[in-house]
Amino acid sequence: MFPFRISILAAVATGLLFAQAPKAEPQATGPASFVVKGDIAAPLTIKAEDLAGMPREKVSVEEQDGTKVEYEGVPLREILKRAGAPLGNQLRGKALASYVLAKAHDDYEVVFTLAEVDTAFGNERILVADKRDGKPLFGYQGPFRLLCPNDKAGARSVRMLETLEVVKLQK
Amino acid sequence: MKPPSPQSAGRGPKFQKVTTPLLAAAQAPFCGLLLRARHRAGTALHTGKKRAEVRPLSLRCAGEFLKRVGLILAFLVLPVVGRRPASAEPDEGGAYQWNLPKGFAKPYVPAGNPMTAAKVELGRYLFYDSRMSVNGKASCATCHKQELAFTDGRAVGVGATGEAHSRGAMSLVNVAYSAVLTWSNPEMKTLEQQALVPMFGDHPVELGLREDDGFVPMLRSDPQYRTLFEHAFPAVGPKGAADRFTIANVTKALASFERSIISARSPYDRYHYGGEDNAISESAKRGETLFFNQHLSCFRCHGGANFSDATAFEKNADRRVEFHNTGLYNVAGSLSYPEPNTGIFEFTKAPADVGKFKAPTLRNIALTAPYMHDGSIPTLEGVLDHYAAGGRTIASGPHAGTGRDNPNKDPLIGGFTLTQQDRADLIEFLKSLTDDAVIHDPRFADPWPHRN
Repeated sequence: MFPFRISILAAVATGLLFAQAPKAEPQATGPASFVVKGDIAAPLTIKAEDLAGMPREKVSVEEQDGTKVEYEGVPLREILKRAGAPLGNQLRGKALASYVLAKAHDDYEVVFTLAEVDTAFGNERILVADKRDGKPLFGYQGPFRLLCPNDKAGARSVRMLETLEVVKLQK
Repeated sequence: MKPPSPQSAGRGPKFQKVTTPLLAAAQAPFCGLLLRARHRAGTALHTGKKRAEVRPLSLRCAGEFLKRVGLILAFLVLPVVGRRPASAEPDEGGAYQWNLPKGFAKPYVPAGNPMTAAKVELGRYLFYDSRMSVNGKASCATCHKQELAFTDGRAVGVGATGEAHSRGAMSLVNVAYSAVLTWSNPEMKTLEQQALVPMFGDHPVELGLREDDGFVPMLRSDPQYRTLFEHAFPAVGPKGAADRFTIANVTKALASFERSIISARSPYDRYHYGGEDNAISESAKRGETLFFNQHLSCFRCHGGANFSDATAFEKNADRRVEFHNTGLYNVAGSLSYPEPNTGIFEFTKAPADVGKFKAPTLRNIALTAPYMHDGSIPTLEGVLDHYAAGGRTIASGPHAGTGRDNPNKDPLIGGFTLTQQDRADLIEFLKSLTDDAVIHDPRFADPWPHRN
């Protein structure tokens, strides 16, 4: 009787152990989508699932402490192309006086030129990242952040990305 | 580890007069005199100020002695520990295991003092040994108590003889990652170099050692130290085992112990690096977002894995360090900060440097009150008030002034508005940086049996 009771207890305990709720994933602070707007043909609102379906790249960057981390996301170029920003054959003449204003949830702002990301000019691999070492960006980093692997300083790698605004200075 | 011998149990100040070999060797080129290296470290804590002086024991060649403790320190230490990364495997004992979690790079270790477990252990015994003071009344642990994240809870430190310093004892947790040491000495870059200041400095007196006192002979005659030194420094020179018992080796061991005190497993680390969502509260998470928010910009100076912009690692050892005037004071007169705590101005003499201090690590900050270089803010809430106001206003008294208007104030200190909730959230975030493991870790605790 006694050993039987123990085995029941053990079974119940085991059940409890496995019945525990799955470990909660940390949530991101920034908005669940970001907007591409401004002087473009097709303004967009992009959510995590939209990014998942676009051409993705991985970039390994060295943190300030010398450790390596891998970010994953979609090239900024692809997103701007999809929004109808003048790139490729269209990036000439007045269009070259165009820039992208990237704005964060906390009002932080930085600027990129269209030519920086265009393959015929700077061809920079600037990413809109949503994963770090395979896990969704969370807390003050996410859910979306820019990543500028060739910038020596990190200050243009905008966290909590909220909007990308394309501005044509000469129309 | 054997318990200490009866001789070492009663640790009094009864020393014989003997020359410390390292100091004697260092002085040999300066006319072979015994110099009493009294390092006038100014009134600053552990700063090894350049206006320090060295007084000769004999006046026979008074003109020859070094006038600046900076030179003495450089002379003593630089040949031993240059600021180059340690490349070779340690030759003094076994390789050291850092056991750092993800996100934490190896700290910088000077080439001349590779980490070994044996040196760390010797350093721990020295760190907690009050025989390493002029009167047996103080050790490193007097101002650097483990339970307070290796601070002392005082606004300013107090040395073995009761003399007060002008600045507060800084936390030693993660000091291995500090690109510069002390509050405001741009030149103080290695712990080996820095250790000499509390040991030998006399303005103020911290431990109050003298190069001809009985400290080194005590080490040589104490059976426990003989064992510890043998393990830590197995190689010996022409004089045999006696060569081990040098001030240089003492500072190497102390530095190794200090470097071993790593905090990397706070609740915040488990959340941020480990992805454990419930390791910190929702309030702390909101506080984290505020901390990394553009409008507050706390992270601009207290960013990175060690929450300090004065951080170096094995792979970026020579990082240029920024010092910041946060508008804590704006007193009348030629200097806007009350003397002697004028920041790196003390060294650079550039008027624009008055009031510029290092941004210290915020790890374990909830344990290290009172705050700021002079302990002049008792609570974290008070520190938030200071930054929210964009500088502290002192209405009356000798330090009266509007810190917000300090001419050297860092432009990042612009002030901000916090709700009561924001305030509580920020404090919760800062508390999530408290690492209980490090303050209870027996590897960092007093190894000596308790004394009554």
